[in-house]
Amino acid sequence: MYVVVGWLDEFLWGALVVLQIFMVGMTMAVIWGLLGAAAKLSKIPVFSVLASVYTTVFRAVPELLVLLIFYFGSAITLTAIAKLINPDIQFVDIPPFWAGSFAISLIIGAYAAETFRGAFQGVDPGQIKAARSLGMSATHTFFYVRLPQMWRLALPGFGNHMLSMMKDTALISVIGVEEILYTAEIATSITMQPFTMYMVVAIIYLVFTTVIMAIIQVLEKTANRHLESV
Amino acid sequence: MEFDFALIVESVPKMATGIGITLQLLVLATIIGTALAVCTVLMRISKIPLLSWPAMVYIYIFRGTPMLVQIFLIYYGLSQFQAVRDSFFWIALRDPFWCAIIAFSVNVGAYTAEILRGGIQGVDEGQLRAATALGLSKSQRFIHITTPIAIRLALPAFGNETVSLLKSTALASTITMFDITGVARTIMAQTFAPYEIFISAAIVYLFIAWFIQIGVALAERRFSRHMQR
Amino acid sequence: MTKFMNVVVSSIVLSFMMASLASAETLRVGMECTYHPFNYRDSSGKLQGYDVDVAKEVAVRIGAELTFVCQKWDGMIPALLANKFDIVVASMSITNKRKKKIDFSYPYRVSIGQFIGPKSKNLKLFNADGSLNLKGFNGVRIGIERATTYANWIEAKVPDADIAFYDSNEAMYLDLKAGRVDAIMTNPMKAFLRFLSKPDGAGYEVVGPQLAEEEYFGIGVGIGMRKGNDALMARLDKALKSMTKDGSLERFAKKIFPFTIHPLD
Repeated sequence: MYVVVGWLDEFLWGALVVLQIFMVGMTMAVIWGLLGAAAKLSKIPVFSVLASVYTTVFRAVPELLVLLIFYFGSAITLTAIAKLINPDIQFVDIPPFWAGSFAISLIIGAYAAETFRGAFQGVDPGQIKAARSLGMSATHTFFYVRLPQMWRLALPGFGNHMLSMMKDTALISVIGVEEILYTAEIATSITMQPFTMYMVVAIIYLVFTTVIMAIIQVLEKTANRHLESV
Repeated sequence: MEFDFALIVESVPKMATGIGITLQLLVLATIIGTALAVCTVLMRISKIPLLSWPAMVYIYIFRGTPMLVQIFLIYYGLSQFQAVRDSFFWIALRDPFWCAIIAFSVNVGAYTAEILRGGIQGVDEGQLRAATALGLSKSQRFIHITTPIAIRLALPAFGNETVSLLKSTALASTITMFDITGVARTIMAQTFAPYEIFISAAIVYLFIAWFIQIGVALAERRFSRHMQR
Repeated sequence: MTKFMNVVVSSIVLSFMMASLASAETLRVGMECTYHPFNYRDSSGKLQGYDVDVAKEVAVRIGAELTFVCQKWDGMIPALLANKFDIVVASMSITNKRKKKIDFSYPYRVSIGQFIGPKSKNLKLFNADGSLNLKGFNGVRIGIERATTYANWIEAKVPDADIAFYDSNEAMYLDLKAGRVDAIMTNPMKAFLRFLSKPDGAGYEVVGPQLAEEEYFGIGVGIGMRKGNDALMARLDKALKSMTKDGSLERFAKKIFPFTIHPLD
């Protein structure tokens, strides 16, 4: 058991990387989710079809495969695109951290798009009509009436997406990002104690997910505070 | 950027050898997991702390840790201990297939228990009160009123959970199993063409997910046939 | 909002430009990072091993900087082809199959394979004269790493074998110890160092002779790179040849093994 002590700072560094992937991924996922929901609700058929394809594909294909495809394909695709702009460029690539975060954000974004769409549709149309009739502009209505109400409805689902995102970060070890699971594999190769090392990883993730669940509870309370009775 | 479309098309049938394993994992884990979930949710909603607490802890742990870590712990972690290797359980734990089934079932159990709990809590109180007024006992209420309604409410989430399990089966490739992803990775190692091979594998998964969605939609229709016009 | 977007876009463009300019002479080296004792990270996070030493010395001799990129073995060549790194110094054997896709340098290590199995099982995978005994493979589960020369060998020589494929060397050893596989086929140098000579490996032995057929194992282990880089290849070859002559390779090997491991010709 004491063999873990020698690896503690490696694990702590890895935990930091996990947090970074989570933050970056979550930010991008929210963007994709909002864009996807907007596209699906849009009147323009091209957008809603594209959005449907996006959500269907990224919710059905295993995360592991998506990660592997993006890891290997990112350099090929980006270089091809870059060559269009500047033929002299030899290669353009993004480090596995970004390829991985981008891939998971697309996956969670697909789920988020569905959640946000449902939440937008759940906002009482009467509220929108009231806002417009009071003279609020479309943008004003969006930010002050639609978004806050949609957020309250989306919160439980979104909370689950955050948990999923946190757990999907474990898969990034497969494309060589040096986070805690990767550290555990290296530590196992030297100490030959897989149970101990993977337990450490499990406990670290449990801590992270517990914190996220606490944050979600606080957010839910805040978003619903106008509904609480005195 | 050369993109070998021919390779994609001719790789799809090769993945077929992996489909068998993937489907076996999917079906077995769903059955065992759902049975586990039913027991767990009954424990969870019980008023007796001795029953509800273990259920809560179980659900909390398995929903709070990544599936990949759970698989590694069961497959590599447990095999570290001589005591485990000498025990009766080794017959199952020795085989990666059963380690995968155990990991997936326990995971499905935890998630489905929460889904079922949501379904049970979503049953309209009015229905239950009417049933009491009509003289139905507690267990009769549960079996004849709560359960069918809860199942109908839980179906969409359960469908999502099944697709989720399908995606998780890909992780079996990390413990030497030849599921669709395992076959894909082996072919990729021989042909050095990751893009094309993995895209064919993705296409296969899309098809299976599509079938699952159709199945769930049919089930939803059947369970709500009393509500349709 | 627009000003923010401007900053974002220009920094992305800038970093791309930097990426293409920065390759003044920084070579990105791909390796497994979990393959003790050839390339691995120790508990302080430093990369160590024979491959690491060779790579660093070559870099000094050709006047380049190195960055190390960790990559799982079965994706090593695809990652090289996908431009994730410039050279592979990861104990990759020079085989004809691989030469179709990438170029290799002068070999810096011999490439051999051997079976390891528990003494108690008394496996007879080979006959007394060293020839293959196909019947001995019946009912025997063999552990092999994906995309290795060992996988190629066994798929060609014993096509009906019951094989379990692993993503990493260590996972394979774990399962051998756990009894999930009856034998493994792997690098005997490492097997001797990390396993057979340790208390862990007390009940295990090598099964059959060392295999070195050129068709599957190649002429040795070399530095891999994408095709078309002949100038860089010439410099690497020159460095490796001088390292062989002046005993550097021998020095690196003796740090780990009681014998040298580079080809002596």
